[in-house]
Amino acid sequence: MISGYIIGLIVVFAGVALTFSAFLKERDDVHKLILADLTEIAGLAIIALTATDLAEALIIPGLVVGISELLAVSEIYLTREKLFFQPEKLFTIEVMDSAPGIMGAVLVIFGIILSGFTGGAVAATGMIFYFLCKGHKERFSLVETVSAYAWVLWIAAFFTFMLAPSYWFFGVMMAGGAILAKVVAKMSLIGAMRGESNA
Amino acid sequence: MTPELILGLLLLIVGIAAGAYPRTRDYLDRLINVEIAATGLMLVLLSFNETISLLTFVAVTALATAVLIRVIERRSGI
Repeated sequence: MISGYIIGLIVVFAGVALTFSAFLKERDDVHKLILADLTEIAGLAIIALTATDLAEALIIPGLVVGISELLAVSEIYLTREKLFFQPEKLFTIEVMDSAPGIMGAVLVIFGIILSGFTGGAVAATGMIFYFLCKGHKERFSLVETVSAYAWVLWIAAFFTFMLAPSYWFFGVMMAGGAILAKVVAKMSLIGAMRGESNA
Repeated sequence: MTPELILGLLLLIVGIAAGAYPRTRDYLDRLINVEIAATGLMLVLLSFNETISLLTFVAVTALATAVLIRVIERRSGI
């Protein structure tokens, strides 16, 4: 009997082969960037088919590396092509005028409830959406300071695990809150980079 | 095999085919085709009860779309 796992593996490996064949033919750099995103999805599907806690433990670091790689490569591309100018026509749809306040608030509150890296990414999505739609006038040095203190808290949480293991729950809460603040602070800069001429 | 897994694998392969060989070579069209494959992966994650991965993937896909839209915007002005 053929299990779902085997069928899934066959389908996903066919997809991976398709993606890489498209990669070989592609010449345009932005298309390659989008294909890299597609390759990441196909690769994560292989891990997801493992269907255990191991899959969860492997997918989350994969996502972190994926988003940072995408950010870095897109920055390198913009620098190499010297695309520093402010685009004359920004992408706008109607929902960007009506929704940002409520959407941003709901996502940030849900992110704080989730905590940890997942919560950080959810809350950052809300903040990016708000900044993209409404523009920004916040002070970046303040965001950087929050991020640095969050980093210190995270390290302190790990010292709590090692030096006072009986306070493990305090350590978990501290690490979860700190990584939330760190991810939100770093990721929300993406939304602020949109309109800047020197970003 | 659960219905979510079957539908997810179907959407995944369709989305990958559409993303790898799109009919029109427009950046935004291709990005939307990639989202089909992402939806397929979300259904696969759902069928195996991988909650944290699912939530993180949803959030990270939204972030990646923001990053890619920024590049496309500067490249072509939409």
